[in-house]
Amino acid sequence: MIALQHISKWVTNGGLRTFLLKDINLQIEEGEFVSIMGPSGSGKSTLLNVIGMLDDADEGEYNFLGQSIHTMKEKQRSQLYKAHIGFVFQAYHLIDELTVYENIETPLLYQDTKSAERKAMVGDMLDRFNIVGKKDLFPNQLSGGQQQLVGIARSLIASPKLLLADEPTGNLNSKQGEEIMDLFKQLNEEDGVTIIQVTHSEKNAAYGNRIINLLDGRIEHPR
Amino acid sequence: MLLNYFKIAFRNLLKSKGFSVINITGLSIGMASAILIILWINHEVQYDQFHEKKDRIYEAWNRSTFSNKLQSWNTTPKILAKAMQQDLPEVEKTARVNWQDNYLLTVGEKSVAIDGNVVDSTFLDVFSFPLSKGNVATALQDPHSMVITEKLARNLFGDENPMGKIVKLNNSENFTVTGVAKDLPDNSRFKFEFLIPWAYQRTIGNDDENWGNNSTRTYVLLKQNASFDAAQQKMKGMRKKYDPSEPEGEMFLYPISRWRLYSSFENGVESGGLIEFVRIFCSIAFFILLIACINFMNLSTARSEKRAKEVGIRKVVGAQKGNLIAQFLGESVLIALIAGLLSLMIVQLSLPAFNNLTRKHLIVDYSSMSFWLAFLSFVILTGVIAGSYPAFYLSSFRPTSVLKGTFRKIRALVTPRKVLVVVQFSFAIILIMSTIVVRKQLKHAQDRQTGYEKDNLGYHFLTGDLEKNYLLVKQELLASGIASSVSKTSAPLTEGWSDSWGFEWAGKAPGDKTDFDRFCVDESLAKTAGLQLVKGRDFDLQQFPTDSLAILLNESAAKAMGFKDPIGQLIRDNGKEWHVVGVFRDFILHSPFYPTRPMVVEGAKGWFNVIHMKLNGNNGMAANLKNMEQIFKKYNPAYPFDFKFVDEEYANKFEDEKRIATLSGLFAALTIFISCLGLFGLATYMTSTRVKEIGVRKVLGASVGSITSLLSKDFIKLVAVSFVIAAPIAWYAMSKWLDDYPYRTALEWWLFAIAGLLALMIALVTVSFQAIKAAIANPVHSLRSE
Repeated sequence: MIALQHISKWVTNGGLRTFLLKDINLQIEEGEFVSIMGPSGSGKSTLLNVIGMLDDADEGEYNFLGQSIHTMKEKQRSQLYKAHIGFVFQAYHLIDELTVYENIETPLLYQDTKSAERKAMVGDMLDRFNIVGKKDLFPNQLSGGQQQLVGIARSLIASPKLLLADEPTGNLNSKQGEEIMDLFKQLNEEDGVTIIQVTHSEKNAAYGNRIINLLDGRIEHPR
Repeated sequence: MLLNYFKIAFRNLLKSKGFSVINITGLSIGMASAILIILWINHEVQYDQFHEKKDRIYEAWNRSTFSNKLQSWNTTPKILAKAMQQDLPEVEKTARVNWQDNYLLTVGEKSVAIDGNVVDSTFLDVFSFPLSKGNVATALQDPHSMVITEKLARNLFGDENPMGKIVKLNNSENFTVTGVAKDLPDNSRFKFEFLIPWAYQRTIGNDDENWGNNSTRTYVLLKQNASFDAAQQKMKGMRKKYDPSEPEGEMFLYPISRWRLYSSFENGVESGGLIEFVRIFCSIAFFILLIACINFMNLSTARSEKRAKEVGIRKVVGAQKGNLIAQFLGESVLIALIAGLLSLMIVQLSLPAFNNLTRKHLIVDYSSMSFWLAFLSFVILTGVIAGSYPAFYLSSFRPTSVLKGTFRKIRALVTPRKVLVVVQFSFAIILIMSTIVVRKQLKHAQDRQTGYEKDNLGYHFLTGDLEKNYLLVKQELLASGIASSVSKTSAPLTEGWSDSWGFEWAGKAPGDKTDFDRFCVDESLAKTAGLQLVKGRDFDLQQFPTDSLAILLNESAAKAMGFKDPIGQLIRDNGKEWHVVGVFRDFILHSPFYPTRPMVVEGAKGWFNVIHMKLNGNNGMAANLKNMEQIFKKYNPAYPFDFKFVDEEYANKFEDEKRIATLSGLFAALTIFISCLGLFGLATYMTSTRVKEIGVRKVLGASVGSITSLLSKDFIKLVAVSFVIAAPIAWYAMSKWLDDYPYRTALEWWLFAIAGLLALMIALVTVSFQAIKAAIANPVHSLRSE
C-alpha cells in the first residue's frame, strides 16, 4: 500500500543541511497496524506527515496504492488524500467554532457529499462512538477523551483506508488512552483500516503488529 | 457547505465582538460615505439626460477673441433660430429660451412671485417635460397661453382644475392656462415653474432681429440621421454671414448631453468642468471605502493566529486552498452585507444633512430593482476587496506548521500591514492638509476689503410700480429716517450685469478691446455704498443737474484708459457723451477670489433695476424693515416686499468654497476616524500578544512611560512615514487648486506641519490608550499563568 524509497528531507540552515529524514525505505501493506517510535526530534512526525502527504520529501520516491505521489500534481494528490487518508492528532485539533456534529461533518463537505447522505453518515458515526447526546456541544464543553473520540470519528467519517495518528493518547490519562487504543485495534481488526501511529509509549506501540524505530531521521533496523 | 461557512462566520463574529464592532462600524461608515458620494455623482451624471431626444439636441454657442483670449459663450441673437432653419437643412426644430425671470402671478386675491421662462412653442416638443394636462403641440400656440407645473397649479388653484383658468402676469396681462406640466426633475438646467410663449414677446415688441443683441439661448433638434458634422460646418460661418460687425466670430453647436459635466471652455475648446469634481469625488469615495477595507484586512491578518488552526485542520480533513479562499471571501462578504445594511441606515439618516450641504434633493429609491442590484454588487465588491488579501494570506498556511504550534506569533507589524496603515494615514493627512488650505483660502478671501461698507446696506428690485414711484419712495425713506442715503442702480452691488468693450475716449488705442464693467446710478453712490473717492466727487443732481450725463471711474478704469487727469475727460457710450467727475477706489463687484476689473459708473441717463439704501442703524433692524415694508406696499401694493441685505448676498459668493471646506473637513474627519478604528484594533491585538513581555519588563523595573513608548513607537513611525508621503502630494494638489484663484493665500510649510502634528496626536491618543492600559496592568496577573 505504501512504499517509500530513499526518502530524505532536510532543512538548510546557514548553508548546512540538517536532515530530518535520511534515506528512508519503508513498505507498509494494507491491513497493517504500524507504530513509529523514537526519541524527540528523531523525525517521527515528519515521516508521518510525508506519508500523510501534508509534507513533501526533498528526495526519493513515494508510492501510495500503486500511484507515485512524488510526481503527482497538487490537485490529484489532494483527491487521493481526501478519499483515503484520515488524521488523528495529539491535540485533537477540532474546530472550536463548530459543534461535535459539524466537526465530524466537515470532511464530507470537502468531498461534495449530498446533504441527506451526510446526515446519515454523521448519524452512524455518532451512534458508533456513543456520542449522540453530545452532538450539539462545542469542543470546549467536552473532556479530552471525548474530544479525541470526536477527532477519530471525524477522521473515519469518509471511510479512509489509512488512518494516521500522531501521539493520539499523548494528552489523555491512561484510562482514556487505553480506550482509544482498544478502539484502534478494533478498527484495524474488524474494519481492516490500515493504521500508522506515532507514539512514545511502549505499551501503546504494542497494540500494533509492527514497530519502526527512528533515530536522527533514520530507521533503526533491529540488530 | 455555504451554510457551514456562514455558521462559522457568524460564530466568529459573535466570539470576537470587539473586532466585529470595529470592522462593521468602519466598513459601514466607509460604505455610507461612498454611497452618498455615488448618489451625488449619479445625480450629476444623469443631469438633463432624461430628454428622450437628448442625442439630437444641441445648443448654439459663440466663439470670439477678446483681450487676446478666445472666449466662448452661449447667448445668441433672437434671429439666429430663424437663420438656422433657413440655412441648415439638418435642423428639424429650433427652440429659444429666454433668461429665466421672476414674475408676479396673480389669481384673484392671491399673488406669488415665481420663476418662469419665455420659450418657443416647440420647447415642449424638443425637451421632455411631459404634460399631465393639455397638448404638447398646441399648449403654447396662443400668445397669451401659459403652461404651469403641477406644483404651481396646486399653489394657485388648490384642487381645482387649472385648465382654462386666467392668471394675471406682472399685474398687467392675462394668460390662460393651457397645460400642466409634471414637476421638473431636480437635475435639469431648467428650473421654471411656468412657461409663456415666445409669441407674447412679439406682442410686446421684444423680438428684435439685431445680430448684436446676444440675449437668448437657442436650442436645435437635428433631424434623425442628419449629419452633425455637416450642420456644424454650416453653423461655423453663421456669424460672419449675418453679422458684419463680428467678422472673426464663429458659432458652433454643442451637445446638451455634455453641457453639465464638460462645459468649461478655455481658449474656445471644451476643457473639463464639473467632470473634474466628479472624478475627485469618485476617488475620495474609493479611498474612503478602501481605508475601511484596509481595516478589515489588517485586523483579519493580525488575528490570523486565531484562524490558523482552523485553516490547518480544514486542510488536513481535505480542504483545498480554493475552498478556504471561498470560505474567507464568503465571510467578508457577509460582514460587508451587515455593514452595507447598516450603511443604508446611516445614509437614510444623514441624507437630509448631506442634501442641505450639497444643495440637492438626492433620494434613495428603495423600490427600484436596479438600486438593489447596484447595492448588492457594491456589497460584494466591498467584501471581495476587503476579504481578498486576508483570504489569500490565511488560506496559504501550511497545516504542518500551524498544527504543530510552531506558528510564528505576531509580535510586530509585518510589512504588508505597515504599508496598509501608511496608505490609510497618507490619505487622511492629505485630506487634513487640504481642509486646512481650503479654510485658509476662504478666510483669506473673506478678510479681503470689499471696498464698500456692507453694514446696514441693502437693496430691493424695482418691481412693478417702484420705478415709477421711485422719487416718492426715496423721499419718504429719507424723511422717515429709515435710510440715510438712497440710490437707484442698474444692478445689485454684488452682481455685474453689464459690461462692454465699446467705450470711446480720447487717446484710446485702435483695436483696444479692454472690457469694462458697466454700472448705472442716479446719484450719491459713494455715500450710499460707502465708496472711497480718490479724485473728484460723487454724483449730485441737486447741485449739478448735468450729472445725469456724468461718469465715475474706478482706479483700474482710469488707469486702463490712460488718463493723467481723469476729471473732465469725455467718454462715449451708447451714443451718449459722458463726462468724468470722479474716481473711486476699486470695489469687489464679482468674485472676491478675482482681481477687480475696470469699471465705469454712468449717471441718471442710464437704466435702472434696483434701489439701494443705507439704513439708519440707530433704529433697529426690525423697526426699519417694518416701516420700510409699509412704504413699499403703499407705492407698490401688488408686489411682495423682498428686501435683501448686501452683506448676506456678499456672503453667498463664498458658498462654493464653504461647501468644499465643509466636505473636505467631513471626509477628513471620517477618514481619520476609520483609520483610527483600525489602529485601535491593531494596537489592542498587538499589546495582547505582548502581555508576557510587558510583565517581564515591568518586573525588571521598566516604567509605565517606557513601556507605553515601546508599544506606541511602531505606530508613530508609520504616521511619520505617511506624513512624508502625504505632504508633497497635498502640496501639489493644493497649489493646483489655488491656481484657479487669482486672489489666493500662500501655501506655507507650517500649515502642513499642523496637519502632520494633528494626525500624529490623534494616532498617539488612539494607540497609547491601549499601551497605557497594558503598561499599568499588574505583572503578577500576566505572569501567573506560566
